[in-house]
Amino acid sequence: MTFNRVPAIFATFLLLFLLQESLLNKIDFFIGGFSLYLAFFMAWIMQDERNSAVATGFIAGFIADLSPTLEAPFGLWTFILTAMSYVMATNVRAALDAELSPVVMSAVTVIGSSIALFSFVICGAILGQEVGSTSYVIQEIFGNALWTLLLSPLYVPIAIGVYRATLTARNR
Amino acid sequence: MANRGANRTRLLWVSLLVTSLFLITLDLRGINLINSIRTGSQSFLAPIQRVGSNVLSPFSNLFTDLSNFGRTNSKIDSLKTENEELKSQLIFNKNVLGELEQLKGVLDLAGQARFKVVAARVISKGGTGTFSETLVLDAGSDAGIKRDMTVIASAGLVGVVKSTTKSSAVVLLMSDPSFRIGVRIAGTQDMGILSGEGEGKFSLRMLSATGQLKPGDVLLSRGSSGDKPFVPGVPVGKVITIDNSTGQLTKQGRVMGFVDLNALGVVSVVVDSMGRNPGDALVPKAPAPAPTVTVFVTPKPSPTE
Repeated sequence: MTFNRVPAIFATFLLLFLLQESLLNKIDFFIGGFSLYLAFFMAWIMQDERNSAVATGFIAGFIADLSPTLEAPFGLWTFILTAMSYVMATNVRAALDAELSPVVMSAVTVIGSSIALFSFVICGAILGQEVGSTSYVIQEIFGNALWTLLLSPLYVPIAIGVYRATLTARNR
Repeated sequence: MANRGANRTRLLWVSLLVTSLFLITLDLRGINLINSIRTGSQSFLAPIQRVGSNVLSPFSNLFTDLSNFGRTNSKIDSLKTENEELKSQLIFNKNVLGELEQLKGVLDLAGQARFKVVAARVISKGGTGTFSETLVLDAGSDAGIKRDMTVIASAGLVGVVKSTTKSSAVVLLMSDPSFRIGVRIAGTQDMGILSGEGEGKFSLRMLSATGQLKPGDVLLSRGSSGDKPFVPGVPVGKVITIDNSTGQLTKQGRVMGFVDLNALGVVSVVVDSMGRNPGDALVPKAPAPAPTVTVFVTPKPSPTE
């Protein structure tokens, strides 16, 4: 991880956050919703080396916590995404082939986003946040997983391209 | 060497986790800095959301429209005859007309109750990652909107203002799992507590063991002290089923809200109730039955007779 990459990572996730908050959240997905932000994050983390992944998790989580419509305490997404980034970049990535096929990438993105949302609900509930009925939570997570899977041919190549564009000469 | 790298990653990971826990602790302790960060981000986001709303408004209900495809076949057939230019014009006009219709409805409701209201457009919604049901409005404290004000639409209650900036406001929808409102049944005046359960579902628990509840009962807001967060008499929803399971101290039921929270374009924020309680005056009226046409026929004598 070189500190030169931090501005690029920050700018990328800030742009994604704006896209999510101003456009995607307005769309009525008829089952649950779709978090491009989370899906993109998972696709990004799968390509990153460990140190960089952990720092990216912290930056992405901090930006996600800026959402004005968020009921959860500030820092909860930072905690979840930092924790997830380490697990994904070490345990999950180590168990997969060096070259990731698009199918594996999509599957890991879907499972990773769902686990992140589930962890968010559990940690939120522990901290006293009202999360609604079990059926509501399941519907939201299932809906997000479905859209994350269906739209993966669109955002996975973009995530790979943007990730490569942010690499410094030394990283390459 | 590799082990040293792994240790360094672990050290960085633990430091960042501790930092995030520190942020959570600061927020839970109500430190102003954390609240200011979110208010600042809301001020920053509002103009961008407004632009996004304008760009996306014709397509925001795309999936809902697709799911209703079968029911709108006849409409689609008639639209097929028009050319592409007219279609885009029609979509634009339809959107504006829809907003005007909603605005007229909400002003009618507010006028009936004689509430002083501020109309606002919905520019964004809470996303999947938030697990909260919220809306963002394009009007804020500059328009007189403050925290804990009631938000209504043409058919009734929408929610309550959660936070404001100069030019935007975040509204907690009545379907949010953390939403609770004191309601009374129009007519009997029995009282209960309505809770949001997400995705437009609501549950009702009566306060008194003797409180009666039946399907079709209309629920109105009971009102709060100083009209914050709720003004009295606003239609909330209709009881659809009663939970008759034994062992309950009070009656419970499922409720259908009057307002379709997924199709809101324009809403009104009640900035002043003018000290009035409209009572049951705002109860939605049942549609009047169509008049029966009676035809009188006088038999004429046939020319052969």
